Amino acid sequence: MHKKINRLIHLLEDGLLVFTLGAMILLALSQIILRNFFDSGIEWSDPLLRVMVMWLGLLGAIAATKQSNHIGIDVVSRLLPNKGKVVSAVIANLFSAIICAIVSYYALQFVLIEYEDGMMAFSSIPAWLCESIIPIGFGLMSLRFLLNIGPSFKLWADEPSNQQQSPK
Amino acid sequence: MEILLTLLLIALALMGTPLFIIIVASALLGFYMEGVDLSVIAIEFYRLAEIPILLAIPLFTFTGYLLSESGAPQRLVRLTQAVLGWMPGGLAIVCLCACALFTAFTGASGVAIVALGALLFPALMQAGYRENFNLGLITSSGSLGVLFAPSLPLILYGVISQQMGLGEPFSIDDLFLAGLLPGILMIVILSGWSIWQGKSLPKIPYSTQALFDAVYESKWEIPLPFIVLGGIYSGYFAVSEAAAVTVIYVLIVEVLINRDIKLKQLPSIMHESMILIGAILVILGVSMASTNYMIDAEIPSQIFETIQEHVSDPLTFLLLLNIFLLLLGTMLDIFSAIVIMVPIIMPIALEYDIHPIHLGIIFLANMQIGYFTPPVGMNLFIASHRFNKPVLQLYRATWPFFILLLVAVLIITYWPALSLTLPAAF
Repeated sequence: MHKKINRLIHLLEDGLLVFTLGAMILLALSQIILRNFFDSGIEWSDPLLRVMVMWLGLLGAIAATKQSNHIGIDVVSRLLPNKGKVVSAVIANLFSAIICAIVSYYALQFVLIEYEDGMMAFSSIPAWLCESIIPIGFGLMSLRFLLNIGPSFKLWADEPSNQQQSPK
Repeated sequence: MEILLTLLLIALALMGTPLFIIIVASALLGFYMEGVDLSVIAIEFYRLAEIPILLAIPLFTFTGYLLSESGAPQRLVRLTQAVLGWMPGGLAIVCLCACALFTAFTGASGVAIVALGALLFPALMQAGYRENFNLGLITSSGSLGVLFAPSLPLILYGVISQQMGLGEPFSIDDLFLAGLLPGILMIVILSGWSIWQGKSLPKIPYSTQALFDAVYESKWEIPLPFIVLGGIYSGYFAVSEAAAVTVIYVLIVEVLINRDIKLKQLPSIMHESMILIGAILVILGVSMASTNYMIDAEIPSQIFETIQEHVSDPLTFLLLLNIFLLLLGTMLDIFSAIVIMVPIIMPIALEYDIHPIHLGIIFLANMQIGYFTPPVGMNLFIASHRFNKPVLQLYRATWPFFILLLVAVLIITYWPALSLTLPAAF
């Protein structure tokens, strides 16, 4: 059951990512064609594209969290023995999870206020809907950081003699 | 208390905590101490949705990943080899030019080393170049091309400096032009070294037939730089539109015409490229908040006052800047360095009358060398992993290239006209 839910979330995240990028490319293209050949354009296309970039950024960031592929400084952790690597990975992931949870909470407050205000971002799309990805994105990242802790213990059992071969 | 928390954050960063977490944490801390509602983080993050040019970043990155998954790297090598291979040091110059072109499209994320290095390293060995020369050449070429349009670092620097709205306003197009001559200077200097290294090796005879074949084979990729640059400079496209046209063009060419990429591979390539985009954009988003806090707290002007007590002339300042950026480049990758440091450095550099375009080129040129500066430049490890050589051998292999490019960086730094002539002329 747990595995199934996990796979469903993966599929949803990846699907949304691919869909967003694909839609962005098509929308940008149709905008150029309309502007150059028909001297017109879709009014809400530009603001929608800009919001999609932000969505794409957060969806990509979730994927980066899943694969522990965020940009960071790995100079020191590379030099540590295996047990030290595990300890620093656990601390780093735990701290990241807490920070993301805080951001998610306050972003949710912001979205709720926007919901009550009922402002429109563009056309008839409400602003809170565009912003909703911020609490969702940071919330999912918080979960992912927590889930990353388990696998990092794999190195614990490894003998330190194995680790000199590759600096990666 | 404040210092203690800062040290704690630095320690967490060194333990491998993602940089965007460190930035958010410091912004949260700053706003909390000022009594600002922490929801401001979300409001600032939403500014990502208010910058039109950002659209270009995911589109160009996806294009770069598509190209590296296709047969384009092989064709590019064959083409440059047919054009330049007959010269002394020809194959080494092929490596420089191919890597530079490729990096311009992929952003210096090590893709050039992995995609092109695998093709070029055996060829260079076979042609009789020294192993250490080849390793150094490929490792240092892996970040060559950062200064050529439409490289992501250039776009990102443009976005950040436009957000700051300081100094003379300039456009991303100006930045694209500014990088051209400094980038060519780097290639020329390294080509000189390659000719010297290859002067006693047997030359590959020039063949019109081979050139014709290579051009025919790459006929669909050759128009690419012209679509991007021609479209932008003729005023026909905005930068983000050029990005959209480029990605569509590359999709059609590599998926439908050349059929190098199968349709069902596309989702995984999209996924791969968007991981890099996510990592960059999330840093950009959170630093909107921290930069605001920093400017409110007048941190750049405080740093400026401290520096000015010791440094009064721009030349000394530039020298210090070079040293600082070189060190920074070994620790931080080019994207986070731009996002984090440009908002601090730019106001200071403006006080010393350094043009923001020139500053950008200096910044990127330094970061480019930082990629393979010992002990921890990222490309050293990528190359060590890729070619299965100890990192220590790569330190030895890259130092002549380091010295040569350092000379180039000094010329770029102290000769502003090299960067500023082209943007002023157009």
